[in-house]
Parts: sequence; C-alpha cells; structure tokens
Amino acid sequence: MDLDTVKQRAGPREFSPKDDMPEEYRKAATRMIQFHANSEIMGAYLEKPFIRQAPSLDRKLAFSAKVQDEIGHGQLLYRAAENLGVKTREEMLDELADGRGKFLNCFHYPMESWEEVPMIGFFVDGAAMRRQATLKNTSWEPYAHAMDKICFEEGFHIKHGESILAELATGSKAQQERLQAAFDEWWPRILQFFGPTNDSSTHHDFASSVGLKTMTNDELRQQFLNAYLPKAERYGLEIPDTPRIVHHEDEGRYEVVEEDLDWDEFWTVAKNEYEPGIGQIDAREAAQEAVEWVRESMETPAGGPAPAAAD
Amino acid sequence: MIWEVFRQEKKGGYHTHCGNVHAPDREMALMFAQIQHARRKPTHSLWVVPKEEIGEVDHEEATFGGTTDKAYRWAMTFNTDIEFAQEIADSQREQEQADRARAEAEGDD
Repeated sequence: MDLDTVKQRAGPREFSPKDDMPEEYRKAATRMIQFHANSEIMGAYLEKPFIRQAPSLDRKLAFSAKVQDEIGHGQLLYRAAENLGVKTREEMLDELADGRGKFLNCFHYPMESWEEVPMIGFFVDGAAMRRQATLKNTSWEPYAHAMDKICFEEGFHIKHGESILAELATGSKAQQERLQAAFDEWWPRILQFFGPTNDSSTHHDFASSVGLKTMTNDELRQQFLNAYLPKAERYGLEIPDTPRIVHHEDEGRYEVVEEDLDWDEFWTVAKNEYEPGIGQIDAREAAQEAVEWVRESMETPAGGPAPAAAD
Repeated sequence: MIWEVFRQEKKGGYHTHCGNVHAPDREMALMFAQIQHARRKPTHSLWVVPKEEIGEVDHEEATFGGTTDKAYRWAMTFNTDIEFAQEIADSQREQEQADRARAEAEGDD
C-alpha cells in the first residue's frame, strides 16, 4: 500500500498485520507504541517500591495489582509494536535498558514519599487515560485492541489514585502539607505530560495524517486541564503560582502560560539525559539482566519449536 | 481434519469463535467457513485454525480466576467521583458489565 492510499483510508482500526503497510507508517507506529510500552514499564518500576510503603493491606493489594497491570500493559504494547515488523520485542527491551528507548517525562523523576503516589496514580494516569481513550480509534488495529484492555484496567488505577488523594487531602495536617508539597513539585511535570504544543511537535502531523493519532497534544491537554484542575482544587490543593494558569471563564477553559514551563528540562529529560532519570534506566537494566534466564528459557523450550511470539 | 472458525463481524473488531468446519486443507476450510459461518451473519473477515493447533485447559483441570477474593482489583470498590471524566466512567461501566457476566457464569455452574 502506498502512503497516499494510507492517508486516504486512514480511520479507526483500519489497518492490521495482514495489510502491506509502507515503511513510514510502520516506523511511525513503532515509535509511538514503543514509547507507550516503555512508559508503562518505567512507570511500574517507579511505583513498585511503594507497594511496601502502602499504609494498609487494602492499599497494598490494590497497589500491587496496579503495578502488575502496568507491566502487563507494557507487554501487550510490545506485542502490538512487534507485529509492525520493524523491531523485535527483544530489541525494544534492549533499547530501554541501554538508554536509547524513550519514555514519558514524568517517569524520569524520582519518587520519595507516599504523598507523591496520587500524583502518578491520579493525575499522570488520568492524563494517560485521556490520551488512551482516544487511541481506541487509532488506525493500527492491534494498538486499538490493546487500548480496549488497558482502558478497562486503567479506570481502576485512577479511581484508586483518587481514593488515596481523598484520604490524604482529608488526613492529618502533616499529610496535607506533604501532599501540597508533592503537588507543587509534580504539577509542572504533569502539565508537560502531553508534550510540546502543536507548532513545536515534530511527529504529530504525520501520525495524525495516517490516523495513528486522533487528537492533538493541545486538545488533549485542554481536556485534561478542564477536568483535572477543578478536581485538584476540590481536594483543597492550591495551584502553584508558576506556571501561571489563566482561566478564560467566558470560554470555560484554562490556559497554561507556555513560557513558564521549563522546556529545556523537558528536552533534557526526553533525550534520557536527566540525571535522576538515568538512575531509573540503570535500575531497569539491572532488573532486565536479572531475569534474562526467564526470557531465555521461554525462547528455547526443551524439545519444542521456538514460539513465534511469546506473550 | 477439523478447523475452528473465528469470525470478525466488523472491521477493527475481534475475531470470535463461531464454530468449526471439516476440511482436508486450509483453502477448503476457508471456503466451507464462508458457506457455513458467514453466509447470513455480517462478516468482515474469517480465520480458520487447525483444531489440533489449539491448546486447551478446561474447568475440570484448573480453577479459573483464582480462589482468592479479588474485589480490590475492581474500579467499583473505590467510591470516588467518576463523572468528571468520560473515559473513567466508561471503564467503570465495562467493569460492572464484566462483573455481572462473571456472576452469571458462576450461577450456571
């Protein structure tokens, strides 16, 4: 299929592995899905230590279920990327471990306290799910199928995150203060979740023209702000003075003052050159090596043929 | 030789099992599948798979879904506001449907 035909036909779940897709499409889709898969894995690694710190058995069970889900989402997505025929799962895992694989800016920052947990579990996951819900209509069918399952589970994560947020927001004075401090620290990063605005996004136009993306970064960030900013306020969180937020009451929307966001840091993070983030990647590499024997034993089962793609 | 048939109703949907056909090779299996399973029902695509290629474990050999109560895994457990974001409300609705389907399936045993 040539690129013009792809652009003409582009629509929800339009293309599947039986279609002969041009290389540009396969590369763009791989880039996008691999980034998504890497982010699921790195998010799970960031959150994993907090299973131990969960303040009650219920929280511990729910939180460990969430971490398991995220790893599963990563695997599901590698599978959806793998059948584009550009990279194998092994290659993508290697790239993540050796620092070539890119992932979400928010997962480069270290997490230290339980009060930071809802920053990921509610705001970042909430932003992620807003984006994921639109990807149920992506043109690459296996990606859309993965989103069906991911969104099904993600609703539970966000509700759990909100429940933690509600608990901390109505907790002791010290808890409320730590929650506010976590929010102050995370809020600018959360605002950068959707990446740069449309005019400085390098990959958007192509991905959109072939139906991989169905909404722009700006539209997604707008929807996210409209839904989640009032939520933060309802839980008594104070929105920090910078980055400045302008409320256009007549249009019922919020606007972030672009120049207040630290895009230099964002791009440093995006290139995997942000110092604490490098530590996360190294930790992932160590974990990857530690379970190498499991992958090996799956690839060469005793006496049987090698599976085409082990899920 | 028996071939299991999977039908995809609409473009982009899932292939779901709809029955099987008896055929000597893949080509004939696809032809019979069209006649037997896609003649009247809306169909976008069909898969045929040799029956012996399908691995199976049934409820007599395994306890599915575990024996532990995993209610904590479900969105309905957390009593928070879902109405502020459509996608969260959708997820909760899907989970409630799945929960009902599970309860019905347990009732059948």
